[in-house]
Amino acid sequence: MRELAKKRLQSNLQQSAKYLALVFNDFFVLALIFIFGAVMFWYAQVMKVLPVKAWYYPLVLSALLWLAYLPGKLVTLLQTADRQFLLATDDRLGEYLAPMRRYSLVLPALLLALAGGIMYPFASLKMGLSNLNYFSLVLALFLAKVFEQGAVSRSLTFDHKVKQVTWLIRLVLLALLLASLYSLPNALYLLLALAVIAVLALRAWKNSAFDWQYAIDYEARRKETVYAGFAMFTDVKERQVNIKRRKYLDFLLPPFGKESPNSFLYRRTLLRDPEYLNLLARMTAFAVLLTAMIQDPVWSLLLSALVMYLTVWQLLPLGQKYDQNIIYRVYPIAQKDRGQELSRVLAWALLLQTGLIIIFWLAIMPGQFAWSLLLLVWCGLLAKGYLPYKTQQLAKKSRYKKRKK
Amino acid sequence: MTLEISHLTGGYSGIPVIKDVNLTIASGEAIGLIGLNGAGKSTTIKHLLGLLRPQAGKITLNGINLAEKPAEFKKLVAYIPETPVIYPELTLKEHLELTILAYQLDPDKAWDKAQELLTMFRLADKLDWLPVHFSKGMQQKVMIVAAFLTDAQLLVIDEPFTGLDPLAVANFIGLIKEAQESGKEILMTTHVLADAQQAIKTYAILNQGTIEFTGSLDEIRDHYGLKASDSFDKLYQLLYQEQKNA
Repeated sequence: MRELAKKRLQSNLQQSAKYLALVFNDFFVLALIFIFGAVMFWYAQVMKVLPVKAWYYPLVLSALLWLAYLPGKLVTLLQTADRQFLLATDDRLGEYLAPMRRYSLVLPALLLALAGGIMYPFASLKMGLSNLNYFSLVLALFLAKVFEQGAVSRSLTFDHKVKQVTWLIRLVLLALLLASLYSLPNALYLLLALAVIAVLALRAWKNSAFDWQYAIDYEARRKETVYAGFAMFTDVKERQVNIKRRKYLDFLLPPFGKESPNSFLYRRTLLRDPEYLNLLARMTAFAVLLTAMIQDPVWSLLLSALVMYLTVWQLLPLGQKYDQNIIYRVYPIAQKDRGQELSRVLAWALLLQTGLIIIFWLAIMPGQFAWSLLLLVWCGLLAKGYLPYKTQQLAKKSRYKKRKK
Repeated sequence: MTLEISHLTGGYSGIPVIKDVNLTIASGEAIGLIGLNGAGKSTTIKHLLGLLRPQAGKITLNGINLAEKPAEFKKLVAYIPETPVIYPELTLKEHLELTILAYQLDPDKAWDKAQELLTMFRLADKLDWLPVHFSKGMQQKVMIVAAFLTDAQLLVIDEPFTGLDPLAVANFIGLIKEAQESGKEILMTTHVLADAQQAIKTYAILNQGTIEFTGSLDEIRDHYGLKASDSFDKLYQLLYQEQKNA
């Protein structure tokens, strides 16, 4: 079991490294450096003018360190097939989970070290905490994480109490943090002692029957969160798409009989598949955010136009979504006008996006409203020029690919 | 109305999996295609559905050549796959609506028929659900309802019994019998002969990519020298021996 865990950790690390390299691309790293630099500069300026020992400092320090403590769930890397192949290994799960727990602590340790480092000047200069006290505080938080992950690994049972156990530990920790920082500084030693006791208490935790399905679902949800993060920057092929019914969006669908089979499929996919709907929502929100931040009609117009173009460009793969679906290929669905049908559905999505951007523009810059109407012209150009050309090209390519097979 | 598969040779990437397959299904006839795993049943079906291009031979339905007029041919065919293929984004109702649109059915008549089928398979109260969240058996029922809704001339059915409860199997067999009576052609692959023989009387034995024999179960027994007391499992053992000796 230990070997299996090591093998899985290694391949997980390789997979994460692959996606992290794509996430932390040159542009993003540059942007992060600028943002981090700006925040640190602001922090240094604030530190110069802040009074010493204000009543709310323990509250601020507790909240920030506690927030840094939250990320980092227990990584188990359990897979659906384990329900079948590892079912008889309950008694050896400890061997499997021990390296998993150690691996799971890497991210929280890094985050706590980073947050602890950033908050150190504030804690020592403005709150007057001694170095030893502050170090004890950060160490206690790390030990609390060790306890939390140990408790989670012991709660993957038929009681289904992982969420309750996790939040109980987190809330007790927040209460202890506040109590410690608002009482005598030496109380931090008490916090450290409590964390040590908690880690030792894990050894005495009585294990009940391991619930494989619950544990597999827990890991699947964790991985989905990680993949969702990666998916904001790149395509994640391992991601399981969770389709939702979204009945509240049905008013956007035309009545039955008013559309072709292809349009019927494209429109519903756009509204229910999170890959497409989230993209549309995210890009629209981005355009609105840019408009709100810049508040300059020319720049807002140019950037919104760019966002609109990028949106339809990223939505184009919708046309190939069903190419490998056997029922789609067997059904007598006409392929001749497929490009035009995709173009019409994407134009409809673009119009929806343009409408929303214009409405928010009206709220943000009512005086410059006339400028926003130019977005309608741009929408028309994309819908009548770019989209028909591009979708026709893609339809041809798709037919060619089919012939090649 | 007749389905004719003549001298069909085909497979994947130029490697022939089926060789010189000949099969005719007349109006009102149902044929069961049986054989070991890997014998070429699914490959034959994929060719019949136009999902693979034959290396040789032709497939016609009512005189319409699949290679020449695929769109016309497909309008006459309905397919029930072995593993249900569901559109994750569509509700059950929308699956049926898409079928109506694709096969250009009269909506009123189609919905009357759909209601009958949905009631028969106990799906009538699930029209607004996403079938992607159904159990495998329920998804298979969606496939059956959609296929029988089309009123297609040829029904191609691949291993339909997996996951179906006995009630659904009985209803499904009833539908096949009705389809035969109304003059449709049916091609069904299956290993579950006990259920299949309630509706299908003629079987084609596919072995190593070739149809070895076509006839009733009794004729198959005679051809392969099986005793009346022998189970049909012995036929599969004989086919395996043939494969090993080839």
